[in-house]
Amino acid sequence: MQDICRTDIVRIRRTKGDPPVDFELDSDQRAWREEVRAFLREHVTPALRAELAEHDLEKRDGELMAFRRKIGEKGWFGLNWPVEHGGLGLGPVHQHLLVSEFEYWGVPGPDLTVTSVAPMIMRHGTERNKAEFLPPIARGEMVCAVGYSEPGAGTDLASLRTRAVLEGTMEDGAWVINGAKTWNSGAQRSTHEWLCVRTDPDAPKHRGISVIIVPIDHPGVTIRPLTAWSGYRTNEAFFDDVRVPATNLVGEVNQGWRYITGALDLERGALTNAGDLRRAVDDLLELARSPRRDGSVPAHDPTVRHRLALLDADVEVATLMGFEAASLLGEGVIPSIEVSVEKVFTSELRQRIAEVALDLLGPDGLLGHRTSAAPDDGRFERLYRIAPLLRFGAGTNEVLRDVIAQRGHAMPSYGR
Amino acid sequence: MKLVVTTQERDLAASLRELLTTHCPPELVRSLREPGTDRVPEKLWAALVAAEVLALPFVEEVGGAGGTLDDLAVLYAEAGRALCPTVVLSTLHLGLAVAELGDAEQQARVLGPLCRGELRGAVSLASPYDAADVRPALRAERLGDGSLAVSGRLDHVLDADLADRVLATATLTSYGEPDRLVALLLDPRAAGATLTALPTSDGDRLQQLDLDHVIVPAADVLAGPGGDGLAADRVRRISLLVRALQCVDMAGGAEAVLERTVAHVRGREQFGRPIASFQAAQHLVADIHIAVQGARLAARSAVFWHGRGRPAVRETAIAVVHAATAYRRATLDAHQLHGGMGYVVETDLHLWSERARLLGALGGGPDVAGRWLEEEVGRG
Repeated sequence: MQDICRTDIVRIRRTKGDPPVDFELDSDQRAWREEVRAFLREHVTPALRAELAEHDLEKRDGELMAFRRKIGEKGWFGLNWPVEHGGLGLGPVHQHLLVSEFEYWGVPGPDLTVTSVAPMIMRHGTERNKAEFLPPIARGEMVCAVGYSEPGAGTDLASLRTRAVLEGTMEDGAWVINGAKTWNSGAQRSTHEWLCVRTDPDAPKHRGISVIIVPIDHPGVTIRPLTAWSGYRTNEAFFDDVRVPATNLVGEVNQGWRYITGALDLERGALTNAGDLRRAVDDLLELARSPRRDGSVPAHDPTVRHRLALLDADVEVATLMGFEAASLLGEGVIPSIEVSVEKVFTSELRQRIAEVALDLLGPDGLLGHRTSAAPDDGRFERLYRIAPLLRFGAGTNEVLRDVIAQRGHAMPSYGR
Repeated sequence: MKLVVTTQERDLAASLRELLTTHCPPELVRSLREPGTDRVPEKLWAALVAAEVLALPFVEEVGGAGGTLDDLAVLYAEAGRALCPTVVLSTLHLGLAVAELGDAEQQARVLGPLCRGELRGAVSLASPYDAADVRPALRAERLGDGSLAVSGRLDHVLDADLADRVLATATLTSYGEPDRLVALLLDPRAAGATLTALPTSDGDRLQQLDLDHVIVPAADVLAGPGGDGLAADRVRRISLLVRALQCVDMAGGAEAVLERTVAHVRGREQFGRPIASFQAAQHLVADIHIAVQGARLAARSAVFWHGRGRPAVRETAIAVVHAATAYRRATLDAHQLHGGMGYVVETDLHLWSERARLLGALGGGPDVAGRWLEEEVGRG
């Protein structure tokens, strides 16, 4: 009898009103997505497509820069920033919808400068940092290359050795910077470096790091291109007695590790949008229904259809993961675990898509990107070469699995 | 679009978790699966009735609690975690089918007692191999007094032996008229009905029900508006809703397995350190976590879209692919991480492994659900 009484206490309470978890876009979100699509229909011109196909974002002034200015005019680089910093004050779900659409269209939208550097300046920067850097970022005029990895510090980022030494005071002195960065993507078209440097060589390795913003055209900065398997250009950057105003240090000295890890969480969130994966699977479904060079149609093979169906299911799940992370961000939570999960899942899915494409196209799938004989202009041939980057980049999936286990389930660190 | 758990949902989940922790411990689950035992959990059943759990998704006019399908999803997640006996859920499935397919009189007559815990149910809405295949296995003929004579065999009917009524579909043939799809409230103990257990290592949950000219009164025939028969799409919708809810059950169960497994590897030491400190173990745990997160989202999405009136074939297919795969993976990797400690039955891990196997297969697993998606793929 006691048991029954007890259940009275826990008599279930039905939820009334809003659904507990809402999977449907509301009218405001739908209108927003339409606005973004209308913008893309108008501004993604054949000339822009041609320039994007031509090279990897190398021109400092061309179609892409014009496109970026149009995004800036809409205020979309600061769409989720607070109004007082020149933003539109929209939420992460809006940002997520916008980035998804841009990725689906295959054009670059708000980049890391907007999605991870600027929020860290807002959160941790000095008043002067905010006044100096946020307005040009919002206008699309200030673009940062992210200077994290070094020849001797990759996955183990905290062992970085690029040095910054203060001459004079924090008010009117200068930082003198020496060292080298690698995988410095986009430096050839960037205006600044978001540079991680060691400011206290005697402190434990995570506690002596700061972030300094360095104009890329300053004397002593040298950029050397590195070409990746995908054809993607990245860079090495060398800093040789580079002097910048002391006030270019972001936030507080020796607190940089917190800013970097915060920015990396945001970066993963932005990098792991499933928009490009949805597009890839849509395109692959279409390709599967087209004859190969021998006239055979891949989709006639039930095994191929089944593999495509599973990819389709996975992309939908990846999309839900993205919405969940954006929703949590909208609640003021930095969803480190959810974003780590999403990053691992999407990056490995991208690789699987490329593998299925190769299998279903057979030798046609080897034909080179941007050659006329290649199916769909060699899009999937290239995807095969692009996919490895996001699996090891922005935190290798192995480290992220550690993060899921250690931060998500309190499993012990093993000394990493 | 807002994929965040609300306080209300958290409260509902907490209430249900407390109730099930108290009344549905693993010892109960273990005892119910012994062959030859009565599989009805009387005390749990009474507690669930008192808490209005059986009434949850039904309208207040028939004695229900007026909850939504989203509320029901919260229940299934908790039921999956606690391995709530399937007879509870089978009874809810009968209720959902009658609420969707029955007329007002049938709803009142069945749902009232069901909400009060006085009627146990089971369903056979589709092929046990494919929840989207709603071609009936039974044949029915109309007799002079309006009752039907029903024959045929239902296979793999979950909990049919515990049910007062089994809701199953049949093809009604009448001379000179087109065949009709009808649903029947069958008494599995009626004259001409034979139940045969199909034993599994998880007990005698699955039953074969043979019907040889079983008489079903006209009042127990769900024949749609005007008696013209049920649209196959409506039957499929209920069958897929049940499948989607089972996916939430699977995701909840997988999450419970993940938590148990983490607790084990954090506590157990080998080579002078916790197993949890080895990277290989951490990566297995991370992979389970990733699979569970995907399964949870896919399953809740499918139930959400059912609640919004979509047929939700696509969403249910995605949920099955992810939930069935995740639960199987979670349980099998959990066995690996537990080693011998989890292989012995006193650890109870196998109880979840059996549920993963049962719910993953019944109604069609990832291969079958993949085919539902392929139809969409082929449509483009």
